[in-house]
Amino acid sequence: METNPPSETVQYGRGADIRHALHLLKRNRIVLAGAMVSVASIMLALLSGLLVNPTSWNQQNSNVILCWNNPAIDWHIINVFNCGGAVYPLGTDLYGRGLLQMIILAIPVDLCIAFEVVASAVLIGVILGGLAAYMGGLVDEIILRVTDIFLAVPGILLAIVLLVVLGRSIPVLTTAVLITWWPFYVRLVRSQVLGEKEKPYVERLHAMGAPGFRILFRHVVPNSIFPVVVQATLDIGAVILTVSALMFIGLTPDPKFPELGNLAKQGIQYLFTAPWLILFPGLTLLVISIGFNLLGDGIRDIFDPRLRR
Amino acid sequence: MLKISNLNVIFHTYAGEVKALNGVELSVNKSELLGLVGESGCGKTVTSLSIVGLLPPNAEVVSGEILLNEKNLLTMTKEEMRKARLKDVAIVFQDPLTYLNPVLTVGSQITEIISTEPKIFLPKLLEHRLDEIAQVENEKGRLDTQLLSEKQHLNSALETGKLDANEIKRLTRNYILSILRSVRLPHPEKALESYPFELSGGMRQRVMIAMALVRRPKLLLADEMTTALDVTVQAQILQLMKELRNDIDASVILITHDLAVVAEVCDRVAVMYAGDVVEVADVDELFKNPLHPYTQGLLASIPRVDSTIDQQSSIGGSVPNLIYPPSGCRFNPRCPKAFGKCPQTKPKLVEVSPRHLVSCFLYEE
Amino acid sequence: MRLYEYAIRRLFLMIFVLFGLSLFIFYLTRGLLPPNFAISPYITPRMDDAAKLSVARSLGVATESCPSYTAFVAQQIGCITPLWGQYAGWLENVLTGNWGLTLLPGVSGSDTTWHVFFSRFPYTAELAIAGAILTILLGIPLGVISATHNNKLPDHISRVISLGGYSVPQFWFGAMLQILFVLYIRFNGAGLLPGSSALATTCGICFNDPGRITSYSGLPIVDAILSLNFPFFWDSIVALILPAFTLAITSIGAITRIMRSSMMDVLRQDYILLAKSKGLRDRVVIYKHALKNALLPTVTVSGLLAAYLLGGVVIIEIVFSWPGVGNTALVAAEVLDINFLELYVLVTAVIIVLTNLAVDLIYAKLDPRIRY
Repeated sequence: METNPPSETVQYGRGADIRHALHLLKRNRIVLAGAMVSVASIMLALLSGLLVNPTSWNQQNSNVILCWNNPAIDWHIINVFNCGGAVYPLGTDLYGRGLLQMIILAIPVDLCIAFEVVASAVLIGVILGGLAAYMGGLVDEIILRVTDIFLAVPGILLAIVLLVVLGRSIPVLTTAVLITWWPFYVRLVRSQVLGEKEKPYVERLHAMGAPGFRILFRHVVPNSIFPVVVQATLDIGAVILTVSALMFIGLTPDPKFPELGNLAKQGIQYLFTAPWLILFPGLTLLVISIGFNLLGDGIRDIFDPRLRR
Repeated sequence: MLKISNLNVIFHTYAGEVKALNGVELSVNKSELLGLVGESGCGKTVTSLSIVGLLPPNAEVVSGEILLNEKNLLTMTKEEMRKARLKDVAIVFQDPLTYLNPVLTVGSQITEIISTEPKIFLPKLLEHRLDEIAQVENEKGRLDTQLLSEKQHLNSALETGKLDANEIKRLTRNYILSILRSVRLPHPEKALESYPFELSGGMRQRVMIAMALVRRPKLLLADEMTTALDVTVQAQILQLMKELRNDIDASVILITHDLAVVAEVCDRVAVMYAGDVVEVADVDELFKNPLHPYTQGLLASIPRVDSTIDQQSSIGGSVPNLIYPPSGCRFNPRCPKAFGKCPQTKPKLVEVSPRHLVSCFLYEE
Repeated sequence: MRLYEYAIRRLFLMIFVLFGLSLFIFYLTRGLLPPNFAISPYITPRMDDAAKLSVARSLGVATESCPSYTAFVAQQIGCITPLWGQYAGWLENVLTGNWGLTLLPGVSGSDTTWHVFFSRFPYTAELAIAGAILTILLGIPLGVISATHNNKLPDHISRVISLGGYSVPQFWFGAMLQILFVLYIRFNGAGLLPGSSALATTCGICFNDPGRITSYSGLPIVDAILSLNFPFFWDSIVALILPAFTLAITSIGAITRIMRSSMMDVLRQDYILLAKSKGLRDRVVIYKHALKNALLPTVTVSGLLAAYLLGGVVIIEIVFSWPGVGNTALVAAEVLDINFLELYVLVTAVIIVLTNLAVDLIYAKLDPRIRY
């Protein structure tokens, strides 16, 4: 009835943490799917230059604009123009470019911008948030009030103003989205560090004579970084949606620019006559976004100590 | 009054199955104050949660019976169990700060017990008020017109079972205030309007006890009631328990790991180890004549003021892992008197001398 | 501190935030653009150069010593007031409501920016309010049901809805809804629901000729009720369905997640165990004990909700051709009508800050521990 414990079983310590995490990952298929989708999209982004000619977005082929010849889907729309010879699996757009190719070219653009924004926001958040929490007092107040100011305006509006004032280009777009995002990270890091600061080991380090900055950046921040990592993963999806929304409403540098929102923008006029123009870019956005959201959720669930049974 | 037989409970965890209760046998008589002692993790809380039916979702009651006045609590429906919690069994928990809802007033949290099923409590409310009126009558010799008409009104309500909602509210408040006074809570009216964080630890624990007393339960479970309090407050609460046991008619199971508390308040003691009840006896008998080796070890390791010893005695080894518990008697790996039969089968709890039961092969013939 | 002390403190904070924001917006618009942008809403083509120069001076942008309008436009040294000097004039205009004439095409040139903005704002407000109502009415119950039926079917459905809502691009979702309900699902010879405009007259379940209403409050739906015009009311509501739902879908997803997670947290707490042990009914335990605690994180997030909804209207209005200010903001961006955008940003900021204040007060009311 009772058995002896297997001598090789690790019950405690770091090894058990990682084994447990992998065990949970294997059991939770949905999170696994999300992780795979995210990884797949990154890989697709990296390989896109090989799959599709990178300069093809600048070309125009007037013979085959807005056509569809993939027999797999029947739109039940009258007057769908048939493309003739070459097969376009997802139809063509306003400039006669194959939609599938354009989407493949657009994915790395979106992911790139998203990673830049999130990475910068995390960096700013860690520096300002850590400083605010650790130093307290006036520094804290000032930083908090500045984040308040930025949080009082919807990001899209600020982005519109910036793009109007500074001109429409990708760097300005990236900056505009970053300006919307950094206050969240400052607050998040700040609240994490505030909680961490109270823990006994910090006082011990202080007593040992470690300088403030060292304590902050070498000990406190790494220990409180977990929710930031989770949020950053989730935000990659959110940033992609924001960027594509901004491009969709027309704040793009070039109407032909290969970006998922920009591609969808053409579709709004042809909503009922060429629905694939909005459908497929949007679907791509949805899938990438779901992938990163599931990944972020999964990381949180797996490593959250409270959820252990 | 309460009889637990062969209670086996296991917990399904990711690390394995924890065999928390290994055939627990326990009985409590009417109006008896039973102390349930044991180290942390020996299954005391699991036992109490099993009695009220509030085990966590990953727990499974594999076998056993819990008979409360001949009714098996384990086979009741959810609704029956809920009613049982309302009128028959009450549990007081350990740390009143986390066990009281921080965003609701204390008064609201006590009153809701009665407003859940006003019909069940109506007789109690009426009788309580009638008793108060009767007391006034005794002191003054007669009643004024107002009290007289109230008495008639209440008596007729007692027969019809119906009473106006506002009246019920008034009676409820009256009743609760008197319970709060009986637990020696200072300024009961103010306490009703306060939030839990505004009260001190001792006051909060009195509120928890009051919540139990309001129901006039047949069985009261006090799970480590004083562990979270400082020593002076602990003494006050224990004093309160002693005073209350004359007033209330309930049986009490006092769960604690502190033998001193047991010696202070209890009539009988049950000792638990790793999911088994190993010894049960009257308080004095247990302290004078502990039979089970574990109990002996426990008592020997209590530091005494009146003697000097060179070395603190303790029980060797450590608490077993309940996922892979020792076979047979669960204490056998640490038992200084263990012999061949011990690891093979679990000993039964038998009465070795009047009202003194032990679960050990040393005494089984 | 008591509730009203807390409110006053926050009010001061609010003024500070708005002040800081005005500085920031001022710098963005006046500081980064040539000065003639600042002047253009206040001059008409019929003015001669001397008149234009005097307008520039009265706004505080041109100095008294500036010789001519052409010198001003060429940004000759000594002609432009330094930036910090311009702020006072700018602030005065902002606070007195003098936003100049609109630069928007298609609107008569003598219409003021203020009027253009506030004549269209009610439509945006309607949309935002409808979105907020939907978010709360759908998001919170979904989260609660998800938590109380953890790992069973309602939980899984709710989590799918939540994930989908949170991840979906709003413009895409709106377009898909339009395709579905206008193109593919048809009724009475037209799509079931209207695809665009705020007053639906050409959809399957609409009234074709709803008549007119008198304008009491500016909000079309409210006015329709006050004018006792049911067809107008109905058509307005029907037209609101798809846009409001699209606007709300992301926040419904977010609120459901937060509600679910905080509810699950609360249900694990000790006081819930005690509540059950008192013999209370399950429903009482969930709604009285758990919900009040679980709502706290959700209320915190609701402040962000206002900002999100007021930003999202821009996209929704484009997709659904809704005649609100979001739509107009993009036209303004095309023609560089800075004043319109400034007005939009500041009005939105005031609303958001007020909403945040209200949310914080609600939170303080729910959680008695906050005030002490």
